[in-house]
Amino acid sequence: MADGKVNDSPKILVFSTEKISDPAIDMAGLLKLHYPPTVYTIAVPCSSAIKPVWILHALERGFDGVFIAADGTDCPYGESCTTKTGQLVSQTQEQMKAKGIDPARLKMAAICSVCSEPFVKHVKSFTEYLKKLSN
Amino acid sequence: MKKKIGVYICHCGGNIADYVDVERVREAIKDEEGVALAKTTMFACADSNQKEMVEDIKSQGLNGVVVASCSPKLHLLTFRAVTERAGLNKYNYVHANIREQVSWAHSDNKAGATEKAIRIVRSAIAKANCAGSLEPIEVKSTKAVAVIGAGVAGMRAAIELAEAGAEVFLIEREFFVGGRVAQWDNLCVSDETGKDLVTRLYDRVMSHKHVTLFTGAEVVENSGSVGNFNLKVKVTPRYIRLQCKKGELQKAIDVCPVEVPDEFNFNITTRKAIYHNYPSEYPQLPAIDMKNCTRCGECEKVCSNIDFSQKTEYLNLKVGSILLATGFDPYEPKKGEFGYGEIDNVVTLPQFKRIVHYSGDKLTYKGKTIKHIAYIYCVGSRQVDGENKYCSRYCCTSNIYTAIGVKKKFRDVYNYHFNRGIRTYGKQEVLYDESSRLGDIYLQSFEHEPPLVEQKDGKTVVSINDILTTDKKLEVEADLVVLVTGMVPRQDNSIGNLLKIPKGRDKFFNEIHMKLRPVETVIDGITIAGASQGPKNIKESINSALAAATKSFSLVDAGKLALEPTIVKVDEALCEWCGKCDEACPYSAFDKKEVDGKIVARVNETICKGCGMCLPVCPVNALNLVGSTDKEIENMIDALLPTV
Amino acid sequence: MPESIKTLEYDVLVIGGGIAGGESALNLADIGYKVLLVERDLTIGGKMILLSKVFPTLDCAACITTPKVSEIARHPNITIFTGAETEKVTKLGEHRFEAVIRQKPRYVNVSDCTGCQLCEEACPVSVSDQYQYGMVGRKAVYIPFSIASPRAAAIDIENCTLCGACERVCPTQCIDFTQTEERFLVKVKSVVVATGFELFDPLKIPRYGFGQYKNVITSMQMERQLAPTRPYNTILRPGDGKMPDNIAYVLCTGSRDKTVGNPICSQVCCMYSIKQAQLLMGALPMADITIYYLHIRAFGKGFNEFYAQAQDMGVEFVKGKVGKITEKENGNLILRYEDIEAGQVKEAEHDMVVLSVGVLPNRGISETFENQKLELDPFNFINQTDILASPAKTSIEGVFVAGTASGPMDIPDSILSGGAASAETTSYLRRAVS
Repeated sequence: MADGKVNDSPKILVFSTEKISDPAIDMAGLLKLHYPPTVYTIAVPCSSAIKPVWILHALERGFDGVFIAADGTDCPYGESCTTKTGQLVSQTQEQMKAKGIDPARLKMAAICSVCSEPFVKHVKSFTEYLKKLSN
Repeated sequence: MKKKIGVYICHCGGNIADYVDVERVREAIKDEEGVALAKTTMFACADSNQKEMVEDIKSQGLNGVVVASCSPKLHLLTFRAVTERAGLNKYNYVHANIREQVSWAHSDNKAGATEKAIRIVRSAIAKANCAGSLEPIEVKSTKAVAVIGAGVAGMRAAIELAEAGAEVFLIEREFFVGGRVAQWDNLCVSDETGKDLVTRLYDRVMSHKHVTLFTGAEVVENSGSVGNFNLKVKVTPRYIRLQCKKGELQKAIDVCPVEVPDEFNFNITTRKAIYHNYPSEYPQLPAIDMKNCTRCGECEKVCSNIDFSQKTEYLNLKVGSILLATGFDPYEPKKGEFGYGEIDNVVTLPQFKRIVHYSGDKLTYKGKTIKHIAYIYCVGSRQVDGENKYCSRYCCTSNIYTAIGVKKKFRDVYNYHFNRGIRTYGKQEVLYDESSRLGDIYLQSFEHEPPLVEQKDGKTVVSINDILTTDKKLEVEADLVVLVTGMVPRQDNSIGNLLKIPKGRDKFFNEIHMKLRPVETVIDGITIAGASQGPKNIKESINSALAAATKSFSLVDAGKLALEPTIVKVDEALCEWCGKCDEACPYSAFDKKEVDGKIVARVNETICKGCGMCLPVCPVNALNLVGSTDKEIENMIDALLPTV
Repeated sequence: MPESIKTLEYDVLVIGGGIAGGESALNLADIGYKVLLVERDLTIGGKMILLSKVFPTLDCAACITTPKVSEIARHPNITIFTGAETEKVTKLGEHRFEAVIRQKPRYVNVSDCTGCQLCEEACPVSVSDQYQYGMVGRKAVYIPFSIASPRAAAIDIENCTLCGACERVCPTQCIDFTQTEERFLVKVKSVVVATGFELFDPLKIPRYGFGQYKNVITSMQMERQLAPTRPYNTILRPGDGKMPDNIAYVLCTGSRDKTVGNPICSQVCCMYSIKQAQLLMGALPMADITIYYLHIRAFGKGFNEFYAQAQDMGVEFVKGKVGKITEKENGNLILRYEDIEAGQVKEAEHDMVVLSVGVLPNRGISETFENQKLELDPFNFINQTDILASPAKTSIEGVFVAGTASGPMDIPDSILSGGAASAETTSYLRRAVS
């Protein structure tokens, strides 16, 4: 990555959450924990608010992968968040299969408000995975 | 209206500019759709730049603003305020994070960082092109608060609210105020009696013209939301007229033939069907317990103010906020738990306090003098096998304080404390120290080996494998075994169910956030105080009551509330009410309404919190979150993709 | 020096800008009162802003404190003086107080400072960083820490050599060596005392070897090592920079100990030690953690469950008092302790020892009250004169106490106490109107 070549690196769209995972992603920067610059973040209030159509839109328009940095059990809007996020992911993956998109291009992990290191690990390994997928 | 967006790209000293070519970013985005102005700035947050932004917005008639700088957690509100100062609605402002998520995260790759920054700024511009003005949802708020529960926490909150200037309805289910504290004598640490403290608070409650006390009253229905709750309160009559004289009443109590266990004394004594818990209890008017009254009419013969014609009344109250101070129940041991209910000299701590209260010169129970007392701690708390995993917080101190009192009042009493690690936290530690100096014996059991209470040759014996004497088996022959029982949530949770208050793992009412919002619940407008939220001592209960009063007051004080406009909207043309959104909503913000003969979902604007949990479940995609609509999100995604 | 004294007027003076004082100030400001918040330190947020994650929910202290702190800083009804001391408070009558506030010079114009840290880079002077509890250094011109509020530089004039390097690099010319001390006469109607606590200084227990053995640290130093704004980005023992793998906690260091003059329990050490143990198990998965305790005081909501969780994770709990700590040549430490369950004195070797230091009263505030006595309790905390019915009341009508100024308490209790103090202040102020 250090050579500045970014064009062939897979593009990942991250859906983060305003109160929980986005602060962790911020802190990854603060701690200069590097990850590929082809990872882009859009923040939403809660990970169970992500519509499958958004994910499909991103994948169809050119993102190689979508990563949901979920609230997990820390969700300020209630405990049902974990289940609901899980449901929307499997629902989306069904739709991806139907459209002939590899469901492995959508990934989810709970990222707590200080989970900077896990976040970086996830997006790095997801990048590697997507690279293999495209080869 | 055509968008005229001003874009400001921040150097942040070198924090951004060292890794991101900010000039290149400016070049790359200056011709994007809607961009009227693109500048770089050394420090976007500096006063000088803020002033310049205000100037630009005014002079160039900007109707959209993007600042690309640090994380929105730091400065989103700063720049929203800037747009407001310039007379532009703050929701036209969009923030792009190119420091934490670009320059710092990719300080190893300048080209990559610059490319990412360009895309992120484009994406923010795309969002700004969709953004528009939003007004906060304003609701009127009734300057009145319902305080439920007139124990010490509820009374204290009521006084505070009234003094601050709110109308207060204090609603107590029992016929008498004071809750659990009225059942206690001397209180730790001030030595004031429970009765005195209750009297002090009751006098202040009654002297305040803005507090209305209802006893024998229960909330049975609730509708509305923050600012405007409508409560229906059922008030059970006392069947005794207010003007009744004391002497006559005592006669009426004397002649009543019905005797039932007295719950106030934890059933160690009995009371009549016409009763008060103790002489001069507040309100100073007995009540007739119709569940047990046989309507024999004896009381009517000696007291002219008995009135069986009094009817149950229903009142409708309108309040802006509800403060719950419904307290706790003492844990009731199961039959056979440490001999309770089977061995007749095994009692609970609350019962023991009443026994001490009724003892004269000698400490006696069931006619026998008591010399050796064994206290078994953590009964109903910190259960290894049972459900109550929590510590009840107050019992160690309360019991040691009671035991010291007993030791000082009655000669020749020996206290044996069968504990699991004494938790006299904070300044309460001095009581533990004092008790040890008075000669009390402390024995500590292992977690999985509780002490054993048995009857041997007609005597009650408590045995333990004691940690403190290296696992020796020790036995104490006790005249009385006191089970130091903890606090449990109210068994009757009808109010919690009615108001949909979530409960924690320990089944007490749950706060939103233990540190940020410790007295608020997820139901906007409803606060919790005292032991209803979890075990607490009196001081802690009062602190939480005052804190809850402050929060409730802040909701009703201004007479109106401004709520965030970023909530869910229903596309009524698409919606074919299926109820899935209603199921997904954690706040019950949805209901149905009819539009042109079709049933569609309706969002209650004062309840919706804008979490968006309903969005993905709608089968016809009829729901959109203001600020994160399909159009906004998809435009943002699209703007991230083109090459730079 | 001839000095002019400026007069300012507010409704309430809040002394202390930690979480309790902040909560009181915010509540009062929200209902329209003008508040002056005076903080002795260079930043508000008190001790909490420096912590790592907090028990029993393990949410990050900085994440909780920073939004509160910025809300306080931005509030139109709150004026904040940092680096300012309350010299004296006089009660002239009900709802009439006068205070003298001394604002020490920061030598930096806070409103112009952008926190770019170029001055820090330029400054040639390195001294021990008090916000990292001495574990690393800082410059003579410095921003206290990254989430400080205000996030502005300050010059530590005692260590500054006046070389002028910072002035030359500052892009906004905000450094100003001509600043002098200012004094203000502040007229208020009510006072909230939220002066917090001090930590016990373990130098007072020489047998534990703090200050002598490098690998004996305080719990606050460990807290900093675990915090997001931590000094090393990992856990290190200070003696040789090695990652520790066998850490001991000594509870009740300076608490429940009459020999050091503090008979009471500090109420938080058990729980923060258990929390640190859990965080350490996460950060150093191979490490063994042993907690030497007398009684575990896991009394609050969710605390006992948190304690059980630590036991399940494998944290070792030993009931016993540590008598003495000695150092081996390799920097490891030998703890001599009484194992109560075994009934014998034992020794154990650890490579790092954390002293769980207790909570002591922050002295001095009661002396600033001039004509009426602000009473202290037997432990020198501020006396709560009606502890059961009005826990925020003090011996002076119109002066209320919030947070740990009245005794040890944890964060949730401090915040509730801050809420209680603001409630009592409100009704006191309303009485003035009617």
